[in-house]
Amino acid sequence: MTEESSGGGTAVTAAPLALEERTTKKRLADSVPTTRMGRIKENLYYMRGRGALEISIVYGVILLAFIVTSLLLPKSFPFLSSSNLSGVISQSIPVLALLAIGAGILMIAGEFDLSLGAALGFSAIVFIRLSENGSWPLAFVAALASAVIIALINGLIVVLTRIPSFIATLGMSFFWTGASIFINGTTPAVLADGRTDLMVKIFAGNYGFFRSQLVWMIVVGAIAWFFLHRHKQGNRVYAVGGNPSAAKAVGIRPNAVKLMSFGIFGLMVGLTAVLIAVRTSGMQPGTTGDYTLFAIAAAVVGGCSLTGGRGTVFGMIVGAALIRTIENGLILAKAPGFYIQLFVGLTIVIAASLNKLMEGKSQ
Amino acid sequence: MTATTQEVPRTAVQDTPLLRLENVTKNYGPNTVLKDVSFSVGKGEVVGLLGDNGAGKSTLVKIMSGTVAMSSGEYFWDGEPLEKVTRPETERLGVETIFQDSALVPSMSITRNIFMGREITNGAGFMKMKEMDALTTDILDSVVSIEGIKSAKQLVGSLSGGQAQAVAIARAVHFKRSLLILDEPTSALAVRATEALLNYLLALKAEGVSSVLVTHNLHHAFKVCDRHIVMNHGKKILDVTRGETTVEELTAAVVEGAEGVRRYREGKPLA
Repeated sequence: MTEESSGGGTAVTAAPLALEERTTKKRLADSVPTTRMGRIKENLYYMRGRGALEISIVYGVILLAFIVTSLLLPKSFPFLSSSNLSGVISQSIPVLALLAIGAGILMIAGEFDLSLGAALGFSAIVFIRLSENGSWPLAFVAALASAVIIALINGLIVVLTRIPSFIATLGMSFFWTGASIFINGTTPAVLADGRTDLMVKIFAGNYGFFRSQLVWMIVVGAIAWFFLHRHKQGNRVYAVGGNPSAAKAVGIRPNAVKLMSFGIFGLMVGLTAVLIAVRTSGMQPGTTGDYTLFAIAAAVVGGCSLTGGRGTVFGMIVGAALIRTIENGLILAKAPGFYIQLFVGLTIVIAASLNKLMEGKSQ
Repeated sequence: MTATTQEVPRTAVQDTPLLRLENVTKNYGPNTVLKDVSFSVGKGEVVGLLGDNGAGKSTLVKIMSGTVAMSSGEYFWDGEPLEKVTRPETERLGVETIFQDSALVPSMSITRNIFMGREITNGAGFMKMKEMDALTTDILDSVVSIEGIKSAKQLVGSLSGGQAQAVAIARAVHFKRSLLILDEPTSALAVRATEALLNYLLALKAEGVSSVLVTHNLHHAFKVCDRHIVMNHGKKILDVTRGETTVEELTAAVVEGAEGVRRYREGKPLA
């Protein structure tokens, strides 16, 4: 088609820009780093304010302080003792980190799920009861499935009714706590005969300086990283959380992406439920409520935004590590219980404020 | 010519129009926001959609882009009726809407924004980041020239309004969209950025891309549009080509509606 046929009158301002202006302008391609060092520098520069970098520095400083203190006072502050390291680094951090990855991915999609703790308890009970009465691989699948289904029900409620996820999942939290008591009774579900050696090796094995949970965290963390930062579906999670209408405008279906995020969240909750159930050999209904806010706190500390669109897998793991390490330090220093809550609470608020501050400086 | 301005002659676009809407009506509960609106966008045509706040422009834009369903009416694409007017469907046809500030995700990098929903991936769906970054650099350097952008890895949230608009347009150009709908694109822009944006539209037109420019600024519209459609209280009151109208007539139509056009054509000054 020629220009004449389309109405004419292109003489007003036809050329995109004067030629010399286009050619003398500094080209973007010229500033792309070519050396290895340059690329590392550029990547570091564009990591600022994304959550992972700042919190890792904070964590590094705290870790260094703990190590130095432990070296100076090995008796009164046994942070570096093998039992402490395997308990903290290998057990309590991975469990929270896995939950934080689930909660974090959901937060990036712009939602959160307050029934995490209740779903965790319910899935653990499903796992224990099925392991006691049959095969544990089946119980494992059933635990994952029940957590995923619970999360998807929450997701459907949020997506279809457009009730804020805060309210919808708060309501469902009470429901699933009640459901746990309904199927199990108020006495703890105990994993005794069904706790086979192989099961323990896989989910709660103690291999000296590391435990199974750490392996789970590394493997699942790596998968989550590839999914969120490198897979197209991960890219869409950010898009939907960051600006749903922009995502919709390019043909992404926000509801489908949100449901997928709820499903992934459920998978994480189910896996963690099994890890906890095997380690503790039991589950008392209604005792897992704390995990909900700890997981969300770990994600926020790690740089996830409560309004969606921001967060990194690395940040979520470091956020979980920071909370658990500070908690451990306080326990080692023999601080009374309420001090622990006080300091953990303070850490969460300070870290979240720091992230918010750095967010504005992100390039 | 009679007093009514409803039936101003159509433009002389001979080909089948790219997009044609027939008798589109949209009700929100008891409120009718669009009433029997019909118009078309020719291939390679720049159409100005003008009107005061509440005239129904935004609803019309949403219907064209498939994000809002019409209550009644028909949607023709290249002469063929479109059965289901949904966003995935219009996306497939190549309709791209650039809203003032919601076409992009501020918390994502330029690269990720440009390839959002159309990622370059391997067979398993993993993104080829290096390839996408390199392509983005290339797009930013060639398709539109944007000053002040440092890297394809920069967050869109750290760009100025004009830079972000240009990125959104660059994306549309790169993916060879056939119809670009720009909703108030110049309202947040500095003079220079506006000038650049209007120039992009003309450059696109030369490549056969149609666009609909929704704006308050009649001078901007007059500068680039081949045809002007003026909306007033949910109705189309004027549909004229560039040669048939003046900025004064458009002003009268936008400010005073059909009455203003009639008065203008009778040679009476604005009230």
